[in-house]
Parts: sequence; structure tokens; C-alpha cells
Amino acid sequence: MNQQSYLHGWQPSRKNLLWVAAIAAALALSACSKDDASESTTTSAVSTEGKSAAQIAVEAAKPLCEDGKTITIVWEAGLQSLDPNNFSGPMWEEATGCKIKVVEVPTSEMFTKIMQEYRANTGAYDALNVIPAWMPDLAQAGALEQLDSYVDKYGYRGELQTIAATYRDNQMTVDGKIYGFPDDGDVFLMYYRKDIFAREDLQTAFKDKHGYDLIVPETWEQFIEIGSFLTDALKDEGVYGASMFREPGYGNFMFQERFRNEGGKFFDVDMKAAVNGPEGVKVLNGWLTENKFMPPGVEKFGFVENLAVFVKGEAAMTISWPPYGRFAAGYLENEEALSWVPKTQIADKVGYALPPGGHPELAAGFALSVASTSKNKEAAYLFIQWLNSEEISNQRVQLPYALRDPFRDSHFTNPGYMALWPDAKDYLAALGEGAQTGLLDLSLIQTDKYEEALRQGISKLWAGDDPQAILDKVASDWDAVTEQVGVDKQRAVYESWAAKSGAYPN
Amino acid sequence: MSAEGTLRNTRSSERRFKYTLIAPSIFVLLLIGIFPLVYLLVVSFQGITMIDNDTSFHGLRNYAAMASDIRLWESLLHTLAFTAIALPLELILGLLMAQLFIDHLPGRQIFVALLVLPVVVSPIVAGATWSLMFDNRFGPINQIIGWIMGQDMTLLWTISPNLVYPAILAAEVWQWTPFMFLLLLAALSAVDKSQLEAASIDGAGYWRIFFRIVLPAIWPVMAVAILIRSLDLFRLFDIVWALTRGGPGTMTETISIFAYVKGFQQFETSYTGAVALMIIIMLSFVVIMALRRVELSR
Repeated sequence: MNQQSYLHGWQPSRKNLLWVAAIAAALALSACSKDDASESTTTSAVSTEGKSAAQIAVEAAKPLCEDGKTITIVWEAGLQSLDPNNFSGPMWEEATGCKIKVVEVPTSEMFTKIMQEYRANTGAYDALNVIPAWMPDLAQAGALEQLDSYVDKYGYRGELQTIAATYRDNQMTVDGKIYGFPDDGDVFLMYYRKDIFAREDLQTAFKDKHGYDLIVPETWEQFIEIGSFLTDALKDEGVYGASMFREPGYGNFMFQERFRNEGGKFFDVDMKAAVNGPEGVKVLNGWLTENKFMPPGVEKFGFVENLAVFVKGEAAMTISWPPYGRFAAGYLENEEALSWVPKTQIADKVGYALPPGGHPELAAGFALSVASTSKNKEAAYLFIQWLNSEEISNQRVQLPYALRDPFRDSHFTNPGYMALWPDAKDYLAALGEGAQTGLLDLSLIQTDKYEEALRQGISKLWAGDDPQAILDKVASDWDAVTEQVGVDKQRAVYESWAAKSGAYPN
Repeated sequence: MSAEGTLRNTRSSERRFKYTLIAPSIFVLLLIGIFPLVYLLVVSFQGITMIDNDTSFHGLRNYAAMASDIRLWESLLHTLAFTAIALPLELILGLLMAQLFIDHLPGRQIFVALLVLPVVVSPIVAGATWSLMFDNRFGPINQIIGWIMGQDMTLLWTISPNLVYPAILAAEVWQWTPFMFLLLLAALSAVDKSQLEAASIDGAGYWRIFFRIVLPAIWPVMAVAILIRSLDLFRLFDIVWALTRGGPGTMTETISIFAYVKGFQQFETSYTGAVALMIIIMLSFVVIMALRRVELSR
């Protein structure tokens, strides 16, 4: 029977029509409910049983906290820890009865402290702030608790899906298992002076000299030409073309970003280090060239030195983490905790863009984890779920002092955040764009050994060594680490990392 | 029982009582001194790293790795260089200051108290303070040099290969010269004045009196001061860490920084155990030789 005769052979009765209508209606309802369900996991904070992840965490924690339990959490020292000390910690205690004890540790010592405590097995830490690049090391060592079962038990998978894809897909798991919740949308942005780039005299002079418009640089070649031009033109006004981090600890991130934007790959197919290729040498030579049009002593600039130069209006461009945007805008500059930040001279004059190359480094960041040696794992988990939830994280990223940067889709479009200062909308848009195109920090077994070799190389650059010789030594050190870890073992980890969406520019 | 037997019993009882009294001290000493050393020895023959808690016997692998670790020997060389330069400087400056203050100057006690202040500052705080002093934007040192030179000076003290050693040594000498000064001042105060007067009456000159009477008299104290400072300089860490973190590259990395990085940043536990054991053996040798010399000089 062909199709036509089959159709012609079917004579619909009233009963058949009713059946068809009923099935169609059921299918339509089913499709609608499926749409609703998918929406509820992507756009709404409502999780299972109509409760948000924050509500679930609070209700589940109350019985655990009846005896006045204390949860100890490791947090970066300084401004970062004002969040749990002044804001989230007291809120959690009021909601559940559990006290929060914050152990403040400088970033450079966090890995060491976490590992030391794990080795000592004292159970001193319950929850941890972990830089995502460390996660493979800490997870393999056994220092982190696997969180999948807790996530399912407390219905958190839905809200995890609303974390921006770059962070969610790349900074949460090791070998497909959840070890931490991405909690800080660290990404490098370019901050530039809109008023300087809009000056007609500079635009005309620049076009006459270089043959193209004075624009926010999109390539590193443009950055050098524009930065150099602006220093020549504005030095008498006390303004340099650009200022930048150059301390090796920060330079490590900047090298990783720019090297990949120039087309570099960290390792070749044989797992031999390839940082000493032409792309790497180009980056270091570029830095040396740029230093000539940057403020004297830029080689020593870290976060604070560079910030001071920029917010005082002494540089036309810089690249840094998101707080620069807030500090430069003068957002709550009278906040006592921010008294160390120089008063901004450039509020309303700052524009936001992606750094040259268009793929910013997702430098460092933090994920919230549970220590495997904790004696309060359940309570610690519930605390970090609550912190990381839509509801609470939207408040935390708006704290002016806490340095937690937007990392959820809803953070980038939060109307309250957009209204915080006149250009906050542009700021959030740039951060959102960076979250889509950002590049992950290199993350391998014993990542710090690779980073340390790079940091040493950068410090040698400022001491006057030859870029090619520096990178040859870095590559040799990297190969030695790879050999020590095991080439095949490390290759598997690297390939897994390199397959992630943010490992290399698409 | 004979008198001899009674005496033997009494002595035996006294010995037991004596051993009972010192037993807790010996136990504590074994616990905090010998046990860690034995444990360190055991760990140094294992293969414990950050990712591998391998406690099986690895023979001399870690010790063989030390032999080919250029960074280790360079860090040892840097440590010796710091010791070789800082120690004589601190000794000479301390002695000069002690000579100056041996006479009863007006306000002497206040000056001595002020001069001793750096010793009571934690070395890591001293390092951080000097880091600010050397800062090219906010530090006073570059500003003072700039005023003298009549132009802005951007001397990168903690980055430039030519300046980084002088910077560390300045901080180190600033902090520990007062220690030498204090000990030598006490030693000089104890020199027999009658001998000095007698030598002076006999027509001995200043240098002759110093080398023939003063120096021999203060030498036991000076030797102990040198020994203490040598050991301190050998474990130099805080000031260098605060100023350069061992950089540029590993140019100022001391053996203590090397051991810290390997042990507590990279968690090469067994390898660090081998390094630590080597340091202990070297320092023990230095101490034994130094003490022997002090004993011989008596």
C-alpha cells in the first residue's frame, strides 16, 4: 500500500477525531511543560520543589547547625575576605545558626596552606577558595571533596547551568566530576580614557602619522603604535600612553594571554614545551618595546601600582581585572574598606574593551570547594551552595569591596548592577563578552612548577636577559617538569585541558 | 651487710634517682630532636611528592638528584656569598659602634636603645619595610639619590642584577649589625682596664693595644657572635623573600628559599628531606669545627 492509498483508506470517525485531538493536546501540553522546565533551569533561580538553591541550602543547614557549629573557610586575605567577614558570614549565621570562621591567606600561600592542612589531616578547614588552575592538582592529591552527590541531593544542578558557560564548562570539574563551584568571573579587560581617544587634535595627528584612525587598539601592533604616540603627545600633560602589570606574578597571566592571541601553543604534539617559539619571543620583545612608553619603573608594577597610575589619570590605557573598572568609576569610593584606593580622577571618562587580540585571560578566579578532610562536609557544602546561588551571588558581586566579579549570566544583566554608575552597563557588557571569548589559565599536574619557571623567566627579562635565551630556559624547565610527572600522564591532562572551549582562541 | 655493700646500694639508688630526674628531659629531647631527624632521614629515602605518597624505599635517588641539581648548588653559592659579605660587614661595623659607645657619651643609653631596635623587628617586617624604602615610586632612597643627582632616578633595586645584592645586604646589615654591636659592647666593657692602662704607660700604640690585649680579650665572645651570625646567615630567608623572592630568576635564591619552594610550594617532600639533611650535616660540621677552634684558642 502506497502512502496515498493509505491516507485514502483511512476514514476518520468522530471517535477517531476525538482521540487525535486528545493526543495532540497532550503532546502540546507536554511540549509546553518541557519548555517551562528548561526555562526554569536556565533563567530562573527556582530549583526543585519551587525553592531556590539558597532556600534549600538554608533549610537543610538549620538542623545541622543546631549545636552552633562553626564552618571554617579559607579565603584570600585582604578585601576578598570582607565578603564572608562582613556580609555573607553574618547572613549565614543569622539564617542557619552556623558560625563562619574565615582563615585569611595570601593568594601566593593558599595552595601551600591547603595542601599542608590536607597532608596533616587535621580537619582544620571545611570549605576552600581554590584557584581553578589548581583544581587538577588538588583533586588528584585528594584534598578536595567530590561534590556531585551533594549537588544532586540538594538540587543544585539547575542553578549551576546559569553560571556563564566559560566558567561552568571549564572551571568546575576534573575528569567530569565536580570539585568546585566557579565563584569569581576574573577576566582581563582593557580600560581606556574615552576623553583622550575622543580628542580631535590627537585623532588628526595620529591619522597623519599612521594612516588609520585613533581607535582602541585591537591588535598588539596597534597597541604599540597608539601607546607610543599618546606618550609622545601627552607626556608634557603628565599622561603616558599606557601602563601595565609587569611583576612576574601578574606577567605570568599576561604572557599566557598574549602568547595564545599571537597563535602560540604551549606544547607540541610530542608534549615538548613550545613557549620558546617565535610567538613567545614576540611577546617578550613587545613588552620591552612597550616599557619605553610606559611610566618609569613599570617593570615593578603590580596591581596597586598600576591602579594608582591609571585612576590618577596618568595613563591612557591599561589592562587588568574587573575591580579596576569599579575603582576607576569611583563606585562607593567613600567605603572605608576602599580607603587605600587612590581617589579616582577619571570617573565618567573610562571606556571598557577587550584587550588586543580579543581573547582576554580568565586570570586566576576562584572556585568554592569542600575540603576532603573536613569534619563538617555537609554543612560546608550547604554554605558554598548558598554563597554561589543565584540569589546570594547576585548580591555578593555588587559588594564594592569584595572583589568578586560577575560570573553568572544574570550578573551581566542585573538591572541593579547596571544602575550602580553611569557606564556600568557598558562595563557589564564588556565583562560578559570577555566571559565568552576568554582564555583559561594553563592547568596541568603541578601547574605551579610551570608557572614558576615562567615567572622566573619574566623576572630575568627585567634583569636584561635575552628573550630567546629566557624562553629556551623556560621550555627546558617545562620539559623537565613534564618528564618528572610522566610524559604520557601529563599529555592526557594537557589534551583534556586543550580540548576545553577556552584553552585556545577558536 | 658490709659498709662497702651499703655504700654500693646508696650509690646505685642515687644513680637511679638521678636517671629518674633526667629521664623526662631526655624523652623530650629525643621527641623533638632525634625523632624528627630520624624521620627526615627515612623520608629522604622515599619518593613522597605532591601527587604521589610513595613511602617505598627509593635508595639514593634523591641524593643522586641533588648532585645534578644546578639550582640547588647555585642557591648554596648565593648563601655563601651573602654570608661572606654580610658577616665581615656586620662584625666590623658592630665593633666600630661598640668602640664608639664604650666611652661614656652623653645620652649613651638612649642611643644604644635606639640602635638595638632593628634586632627586635621581625626579619620579614624588616624586609617588607626595606622593600618600601627601595620602591622606585614611593620609596625615599630613590628620592634622596634623585635630590643628590639633581634629576629623577628610577633605580630598580629589587630587579636590576647590579643593585639587587647591595639592596639585600643593606637590609641585612642594617638589621643585624646592632646584634654584633651589643655583644661586642658587652665584651669590650669586660676588658681589664688595668691592662690597657699598663700597656699605654709602657708606650704601646692604639693598634698594638687593640691587637695584643683587646682582641684576645673579646675573642671568645666575638667567636660566639660570629658563629651565631654565620648560622643565621646560612638560613637567610625572610629579608630576601620580602625583597626579591629569590629573583631576578633565581639570582638571589638562598638555600632556605630553595628548600621552602621545593618543600612547601612544589611539595617535593622526599627530595626536600634530602636537601634538609645535607644542610644539617653541613651546619653541624661548621659548628663542630668552630667550637673546636674556640676551645683551642683558650
